[in-house]
Amino acid sequence: MSATPPPLPLPASGETGEHRLHPWSWLFVLLLQLRQYLLPLVALLVFGQRGDRDPLWAQLLPLGVIAVLVVVSVLQYLSFRYRIGSEAITVRSGLLSRNRREIPFARIHNVVVQQNPLHRLFGVAELRLESAGGTRPEAEMRVLRMDQALALERLVRQRGQATRAPLADAQADTPDAAHSDDAQVLLHLSTWEVVKLGLLGNRGWVLVIAALGALFQVVPRRVMDDVVERGGRQAFGYASELQPGITGGLLLVAALLVVGWLGLRVLSVVLSLLRYHGFTLSEQERRLTVSTGLLSRTRSSVALRRIQAWTLRESIMQRWAGARQLRIDSAAGQAQGEAQQRALRELAPLASPERCDALVRHLLPGVAWPPAQWRSVPVRGSWRLCLTSLWLTPLLAAGLYWRWGAMGLAVLVWLPIALWTARLQMARIGWHADGHLVAVRGGWWRRWWRWAELDKLQGLQLRRSPLDRVLGTASVRLDTAGAHGDVALQLDFLPQAQARAVLEQLADALARRRLHW
Amino acid sequence: MPVRAARLAALEGAGGGLFVPGALLAGLSAWLGWPLLLAPLWLLLGAGVGAALAWRRVRRTRWRLDAQGLGLRRDLLWHLETRVPLSRVQHLDLRRGPLERRAGLATLIVHTAGTRMSAVVVSGLDDADAEYLRDTLAHQLDQDADAL
Repeated sequence: MSATPPPLPLPASGETGEHRLHPWSWLFVLLLQLRQYLLPLVALLVFGQRGDRDPLWAQLLPLGVIAVLVVVSVLQYLSFRYRIGSEAITVRSGLLSRNRREIPFARIHNVVVQQNPLHRLFGVAELRLESAGGTRPEAEMRVLRMDQALALERLVRQRGQATRAPLADAQADTPDAAHSDDAQVLLHLSTWEVVKLGLLGNRGWVLVIAALGALFQVVPRRVMDDVVERGGRQAFGYASELQPGITGGLLLVAALLVVGWLGLRVLSVVLSLLRYHGFTLSEQERRLTVSTGLLSRTRSSVALRRIQAWTLRESIMQRWAGARQLRIDSAAGQAQGEAQQRALRELAPLASPERCDALVRHLLPGVAWPPAQWRSVPVRGSWRLCLTSLWLTPLLAAGLYWRWGAMGLAVLVWLPIALWTARLQMARIGWHADGHLVAVRGGWWRRWWRWAELDKLQGLQLRRSPLDRVLGTASVRLDTAGAHGDVALQLDFLPQAQARAVLEQLADALARRRLHW
Repeated sequence: MPVRAARLAALEGAGGGLFVPGALLAGLSAWLGWPLLLAPLWLLLGAGVGAALAWRRVRRTRWRLDAQGLGLRRDLLWHLETRVPLSRVQHLDLRRGPLERRAGLATLIVHTAGTRMSAVVVSGLDDADAEYLRDTLAHQLDQDADAL
């Protein structure tokens, strides 16, 4: 990797209108590829060096592979060009199989600019353009100079607006488009708020569990068992040497638990600092931009009218701290894993309820949020929410009784608790539908609200399970684009006549409105 | 749905039922040491159950097209009623398998931009009905030039 970059002149952009990527971009492509081939390469290096009588070529093979990758990266750089037209970006790439792609500005849903520490060292950034649907971005520019990337982002913002303006039905976007670069900051998280976010969240757990899972997959089973057994025996031996007695043992366990809990909290805070440091949500020309991150900074932006559905959530810890989380769905980039993290999902990772409501009212003008009155569902039949407990608990109790006698029946205490929480949960379910939006709320322990504009609904479904038929209820499912997460937009447990009325009302409203993306 | 669609579905269901309850039951009875003579009986039973379920599934499926859009209703153990508003149709597929072609049937797949209901499959349609549905739904697409 000590090779010097070939002197590649940047073509004058004014003459041809064609641009190339940053001259160093081949290096980043190379790094990306090296990451993919890292394992085989390491294997080659390790196994290739076994014994001295290996032929020379075996030792040079890894170097050869790296050289090939360098050549491929440079060729990739040389063959990649993009041209910014008046209505679309044209991307040409590929050397042997040439590929030319037109991306109209009006179809770009999402723009992501990302900088990891290495990018920042070189003053460059990675830019991705995403349109609706599909799992891969339309174009990935790896990498551009930072100011070029930001300029391109601004261009997409303006052109996307300009081509759209004549089509929009007398919406008041056009005066906004006249303004140029004055971004309006809607939300900024201070460092303390980010720390609070880490304290309230459970990112630490997620990471530890993922790490454990990976460990168990990578390390052979036998070795793992061995380690656990030996470690356990040592710990036991150590403990019995101390002879701490029962109190001491309990104290030890308690101390271990506390230390573990503190460690998880610290981990969680660190993770949230890495991800949310300097979180800023700003609005510019009807487009939302979120920039966030400590080491690798991400800046992603989405047009306001591309937001498909909204979710507001509040866990019990957050409720005690007086905070909520506001998320959105967008049709773009339904990718999995790493790419999904980068997309704009969270408008407000942590904000006070009033702040969230104000934000929603600001971003959805013409919508009364929160709805003045939630319509509730009948609490009768709330036992269906704890159906699993209802049959599992007696089964468990019977098993325990058989094993340990009457003590086992203590499990049955859970039944009234489950029934009671189910009742509370049912009483909290609410829904609202008017000429602009459909909203549902629910959850008692972890509360959630979810809503979408009528224009963004894609399909309707009335469902009646056998249980629904017994109880005379039905649920109406509403489908939106890019929907994911654990909360679905569905009106559950409505009396049947009401459900049918809602279905007819929505179907009628949708048929009369055109799809607005 | 036409009766011949139900017949075709029953045929396919019988084929499936031969394996899933049928062969399993036959295997179980052999394992329990029951007389081997019972095996064909089990297979026959499996095929019968499969055919009955498939027949019921088709006979209980109804579609309708009105000013609002396409409606599909299926009343099995779960009652489902799906509505795809006209303005939300993204594109349409018409599929005809070899058996379907022989029976003059077709399967219409209506795609929307949604997530869970992104493809609504209406199978066992009469050929003419399917083409009528496709043309009507597609006609609306032409009118609405800027759907996405």
